[in-house]
Amino acid sequence: MIRLENVSWRRGKKQNTQVLSDLSFSIPQGGFRWLLGPSGAGKSSLLSLLHLETLPTEGRMLLLGKPVSKAEKRAHFVRLRQRIGMVHQDYKLIPGLSVADNVALPLRLQKRPEDEIQDEIHAILKWVGLGERLNAPAASLSGGEQQRTAIARAIIHRPGLILADEPTNALEESQAHRLLDMFAELSDMGTTMVVATHNEALIRRLERPALYLERGRLVQDEGATV
Amino acid sequence: MMMPFSGRKDGLSVSEALPDRSLFTLVAMMSFLAALTLAGATGARALSARWAGGAAQLVTVQVPDPDQPLTPASKKEPAGPTRAEAVLADLNTLPPGSVMHRLDKEELARLLEPWLGEADNSALPLPAIIRIRLSDNAQVPNDLEQTLTAHVPGTIVEHNASWGERLKALANSLLACAGLALLTVGGIATLVTGLATRAGLSTRRDIIEILHGLGASDGYIAGRFAWRTAMLGLGGSLAGTVLAMVPLLVLFRMAAPFANISLQSDTLLLPDWQTLQNIIPTDMLVAFAALPFVAAFICWITTQSMVRLWLRRLP
Ligand SMILES: Nc1ncnc2c1ncn2[C@@H]1O[C@H](COP(=O)(O)OP(=O)(O)O)[C@@H](O)[C@H]1O
Ligand SMILES: [Mg+2]
Repeated sequence: MIRLENVSWRRGKKQNTQVLSDLSFSIPQGGFRWLLGPSGAGKSSLLSLLHLETLPTEGRMLLLGKPVSKAEKRAHFVRLRQRIGMVHQDYKLIPGLSVADNVALPLRLQKRPEDEIQDEIHAILKWVGLGERLNAPAASLSGGEQQRTAIARAIIHRPGLILADEPTNALEESQAHRLLDMFAELSDMGTTMVVATHNEALIRRLERPALYLERGRLVQDEGATV
Repeated sequence: MMMPFSGRKDGLSVSEALPDRSLFTLVAMMSFLAALTLAGATGARALSARWAGGAAQLVTVQVPDPDQPLTPASKKEPAGPTRAEAVLADLNTLPPGSVMHRLDKEELARLLEPWLGEADNSALPLPAIIRIRLSDNAQVPNDLEQTLTAHVPGTIVEHNASWGERLKALANSLLACAGLALLTVGGIATLVTGLATRAGLSTRRDIIEILHGLGASDGYIAGRFAWRTAMLGLGGSLAGTVLAMVPLLVLFRMAAPFANISLQSDTLLLPDWQTLQNIIPTDMLVAFAALPFVAAFICWITTQSMVRLWLRRLP
């Protein structure tokens, strides 16, 4: 479950650049939200806030049902981050590691047994169509392959919350559709999802409520219960 | 150089070996310095202990014309005790536990050999030399020389304590200097480790942010860096300490005769290289063995604190 109450976020050392203003919305556990809006509206910023890469400047925030504020211990944020999967717009793979080692990171950081990790890696990479690229260095991947690796890394540890920033912009249509079907399935199984996109065809294919941002403000919340 | 967790595939151990290698070299150089300083400190401490205990308790009494009677023989009385016997009798009043030894002719000859050669010196009027070792806590009476010269004119008392005190003070200030030098070396080691850590942090900044985002704890990330610098510190310090042993062994061999001054030995012979291991003080060897671990700990704790501090910029 996610809940934001009057959340604002300002960028910069002196926090003097307003990026997000007065956001209030909530998403139930297992809810799916499209995150829409023109370029520069603040979609990536909101996702980084939900990924705990930064904290709100103002307002109250609940993530996976847990409070998020500067008063919390760092270990609290570590535990929360381990339950979130994030697909960054620029993938954020570690170039010196292979596809398999990149994808294994969330499990290795959680100290899962290595044989279990190997099974998971093979299954998930096969699913995203990278079964043959297991040992390829991340630096040698094409854009689409990087994106699929990033997606695999975001879901391998079955997080309770998945955030995706334009996760299909480097994918072919058939791959994008497959991904969407999986997102729908994960959501039905109880994973909360927020997916930022520009892709109109995609939105029409999976009809779910949207959060519509413009200049850092929430202008429409289709999931809001009146 | 491999690190213990290089098996961990998280991207932190890849690339750029340059700052790492310079850390190894710098720690080696500083450990070399620290080892030399430790050796100096050990020497100063041994000196200080000696002057506080052993040598300060030595008193030498010289009696010229030892075999002359104390009072010239007159017609009325037979000759009394000789001057040497009179002094020895007076010395019996020294604190209990004192050991007295009058050098016999041979010992005297050996003592004077460097000056007089091996010629027959029996014709020379040699003084009597009496060596006294006081028990550990005993004090020489202040008026000893006065008493003796009053009774047996011309007697000279040499007491090590007066200049022993000064030597002890000197040894103690040497010790303090060594302590300061060690502190400085430790400070530089901290600084150098800090700089190497900062370089490592900035080249791996993106990777750290990715790992942090994936739920790596501060302890995990700091531990990965700290183990690396600790291992480099351990290796570098080991190399530096071993290198320092070379000049120190030479030095100790040369210094060995001075470390053995005692009542009996008056020779200044260099010891065999083989017996040298018995001369090198154990506390110095212990300090040398500890040095690499101290260096590793300094590296570890510096990196731990720096990385944890650096991570504070991320929520
Ligand atoms: N690193 C950055 N440096 C400067 N401005 C930034 C940076 N990141 C975001 N912004 C600004 O913050 C606002 C929101 O950006 P962003 O969240 O990336 O929007 P979106 O993802 O919807 O395109 C924009 O005005 C953008 O110019
Ligand atoms: Mg964006």
